[in-house]
Amino acid sequence: MDALSRIQQLGMPKRNNELWTFFPVAKIPQQEFLEVRDAPRTATFDASSETDFAALLPLAKNARTMVRNIADGESEMALIKCNDDFGHTIFNIGKNAKVSLEILDNKVLHEIAAERFDLNLAEGAQVEVFFANPANDLPLRFRHFNIQQAAGSSLRFSSIERGNGITRVSIDDFLKAPGATFEIRTLNLLDGTSSSHHRLTIHHEAPETTSTQFARNLLSGHAYASYDGSVIVGENCSKVNSSQLVNTILLSEDSSVSVKPVLKIYHDDVECTHGNTCGELDADQMFYLVSRGIPEKLAKKMLTSAFASELFQALPDSPAQKRLLQVLHEVI
Amino acid sequence: MLSIQNLKASIEDGTQILKGINLEVRPGEVHAIMGPNGSGKSTLSKVIAGHPAYKVDGGSVELDGKNLLEMEISERANSGLFISTQYPTEIPGVNNVEFLKMALNSKRAYLGLPEINDADFHKLCEEKMELLEMDARYRERGVNEGYSGGEKKRNEILQMAILDPKVSFLDETDSGLDIDALRIVANGINHIMNPEKAVILVTHYQRLLDYIKPTYVHVLRHGKIILSGGPELALKLEEQGYDWIEEK
Ligand SMILES: Nc1ncnc2c1ncn2[C@@H]1O[C@H](COP(=O)(O)OP(=O)(O)O)[C@@H](O)[C@H]1O
Ligand SMILES: [Mg+2]
Repeated sequence: MDALSRIQQLGMPKRNNELWTFFPVAKIPQQEFLEVRDAPRTATFDASSETDFAALLPLAKNARTMVRNIADGESEMALIKCNDDFGHTIFNIGKNAKVSLEILDNKVLHEIAAERFDLNLAEGAQVEVFFANPANDLPLRFRHFNIQQAAGSSLRFSSIERGNGITRVSIDDFLKAPGATFEIRTLNLLDGTSSSHHRLTIHHEAPETTSTQFARNLLSGHAYASYDGSVIVGENCSKVNSSQLVNTILLSEDSSVSVKPVLKIYHDDVECTHGNTCGELDADQMFYLVSRGIPEKLAKKMLTSAFASELFQALPDSPAQKRLLQVLHEVI
Repeated sequence: MLSIQNLKASIEDGTQILKGINLEVRPGEVHAIMGPNGSGKSTLSKVIAGHPAYKVDGGSVELDGKNLLEMEISERANSGLFISTQYPTEIPGVNNVEFLKMALNSKRAYLGLPEINDADFHKLCEEKMELLEMDARYRERGVNEGYSGGEKKRNEILQMAILDPKVSFLDETDSGLDIDALRIVANGINHIMNPEKAVILVTHYQRLLDYIKPTYVHVLRHGKIILSGGPELALKLEEQGYDWIEEK
């Protein structure tokens, strides 16, 4: 089944669809906009099992498919930049290959952009994917990731969201064999009326697989962030370890956050934790800094920057860590 | 230099904690404030620092003739006031040395001085850390992050040494220190002290005053200073407690 037919079958996103609970679905153009399409140039793709509109949209719009194959044992650093409104990128990453992928922002001037990434990791592949988009005025941006992980592979996903519009990142990760690990560290630095939405589903389909989710939000103005993270642990999947932690600091009265952790566990011998904190800047810490002569504005900056950079300081020394900390240094 | 007159302050629910404090501190003096738990010693330090939990109901606090109570919290510090609270706050993620530098440069900016250069700061920091026998861990970690009680107190004195305040108010800096740490901290305070400066020490123990000889000893109880005397008063309090003192 092609992507457009699948969208027609599923219908456009609605608030009552559990994948779109927190998203301002009214901002998505009407179905008619799907009719306007480029000439077909998408790789043939069976879309019948997809459930997320964002996974289908670039394909339905006939995005050009770019395929990269990275050979077994290769080391590669790649930049991905999509020059169209819609993009589809497939990475087939060989055994024990080490890959660092930075996604650069799609600087289109249209109303909506959507990109889909398929990342297929063979045994022992180690991949980091990261982005720290500069603030832009793109009103609506979707980024969907379908990740398939073989035994012993690891995927680290790290990002900073700081756009002015509405962004949604959706990730379907499949940990298909023992030793596969997934980690996400994402920071929303939002102001104005911007909003950022994460929707993840981690499928632990094999024993001894690990997933770790860290999200932090620093929200000012009327900004809104949502984090919807589901973890599904299949039958016969013993020794699965999964954790999720969302920390939010609201810097203004009108900013807000929604968090929805979902755990579907079909096995006993698993360790799954989740936590969620939300508050203002710590008053004692603020007092301590200003009582040492540091002006209030600077003290706030020190605390917000500490909150944000802690998230990425835990990353191994890598291009991702370097880039994300550098961006933080520039913007906070 | 620090002049506190009839200072009254209350907490949010309206309960008055400080009920008219008078204290005159001149250059070169060391004042010890003693008194039972709950008498208002820590409250006094926080009210002077400008802690938002307290409302000043009356009185004045002046540093070299300038009204501290009208200043921003940071301005009070930059004018030469240093308050070390009883339980220093942990700030994970803010590097201790970066913090020290930020604080020093804030003071310099306030005084119209340029930022200290890295080499000079490094030298200053090394010198003071050596004085306080502090090792590299204090440099690498976040502010007070994971420090023991004693380490936090030592870190407070490090800040005092670097910021070089005119008047320091140290709230139970000796609590939780072992004998060696007490000696190191006390030496540090003595080293910083000079005839142009003053220190106010809140303490429960004579042992600190063996190292740092007070000019005056005050007893604070129920939000008032009920008795003042010389160093001998501290010895008497250690022997006899507070109950013999008659409140007016
Ligand atoms: N922020 C506060 N909220 C409620 N009560 C307070 C607060 N600060 C001080 N108090 C009360 O004021 C009294 C004096 O406290 P404190 O100044 O800490 O005493 P000390 O330091 O002399 O032991 C105590 O009864 C204490 O419970
Ligand atoms: Mg106290």
